[in-house]
Amino acid sequence: MPNDKKSQKIVDIIQNAARKHSLFVLAYGTGCGAIEIPPTMTSKYDAERFGIRGMATPRQADVLLVTGYLATKTLKRVIRAYEQMQDPKYVIGFGSCTINGGMYWDSYNTIKLLDKYIPVDVYINGCMPRPEAVIDGFIELQGLIKDGKANGAEKYKENLDWYRANQKKVIKNWNMPDYNW
Amino acid sequence: MTDIKFEKEQQVVDQLVNTFQNLSGKVKRERRIEVSVSKKLIPSVLSYVKDQLGFTHMSHMSCVDWLEDEHFELIYILWSPELKVQLLIKTLINRENPSIENVDMIWGQLNTYQREIREMFGIQFTGMIGKEEFILEDWDEMPPMRRDFDTAEFIKEAYFERPGRDGAKNVRDEIADRSGEEIPELAKKYSRD
Repeated sequence: MPNDKKSQKIVDIIQNAARKHSLFVLAYGTGCGAIEIPPTMTSKYDAERFGIRGMATPRQADVLLVTGYLATKTLKRVIRAYEQMQDPKYVIGFGSCTINGGMYWDSYNTIKLLDKYIPVDVYINGCMPRPEAVIDGFIELQGLIKDGKANGAEKYKENLDWYRANQKKVIKNWNMPDYNW
Repeated sequence: MTDIKFEKEQQVVDQLVNTFQNLSGKVKRERRIEVSVSKKLIPSVLSYVKDQLGFTHMSHMSCVDWLEDEHFELIYILWSPELKVQLLIKTLINRENPSIENVDMIWGQLNTYQREIREMFGIQFTGMIGKEEFILEDWDEMPPMRRDFDTAEFIKEAYFERPGRDGAKNVRDEIADRSGEEIPELAKKYSRD
């Protein structure tokens, strides 16, 4: 294959189109959002017609779906799951708790902004978002992937020090392995 | 309301008052008794009501922080399946170095409640076996359920906040202004300043 810019562009287009239609989701069911996943996946809304389906482990998944508030304790597990995921990987913040803390805005133990700790590609607003909104968010993500704009994982790699500093600010006992992608 | 209605409740109170010194109890309402004891008496009162009076079910244990009076109040909530009576045993603990005897040998589930109260209020239970950490992870601040723990100050330092909340409008006043109505005097205390 000739290694010039033009052909790389064509490869990218094909690659992105393929990625767009096979999103394997690791649903990290925190908070109340996990209850919206079954109707999204099952026959009534049937997310699989968009190529969206659940996956059991982080290492096989493409999308990390964070479905609600995150206590600092849970955040530690989310970061660990996120770092184990293979490229390409995307994050969807689900519900207002991940956006601004939601109804837990004054809790002493939950984070308010998810995107300060892991890069979020798409936010789905709502408390909780209905399956239509969830699918809409996924289609938004598919659009970003198609245009090559869903580059959260690259952002994470580039600004790892900044993310680490934020993460270590809330996770005081940092005893996690380092994953190299 | 006649006293005859609370016969079985009064019987329990009498029995407790006659058995223990410095114990005050009263019938709160039908099927509810409140008893206050000193913290030294707690193990003996609990085992007495369990073995002799039939309060075999430990429903809950909770704690109240009386900041102004400078003490904690521990409440053991028991239920008697035979009498169908709820018994609340209350005791006061000093706020300085709060500690009380461990009683999880009487009801095993007390261990869980006591560990939660130890973490959330910082009350030590002498002789209790259980990991120091319960729900919170790596918590090195003041126990968060104490009333002098300033949550608003803490989250300002510990977490990021999405800008926009500061500019939130006073909804009640906005709507009243828009429709030209006046907020009645009695509702004004609920307005934001």
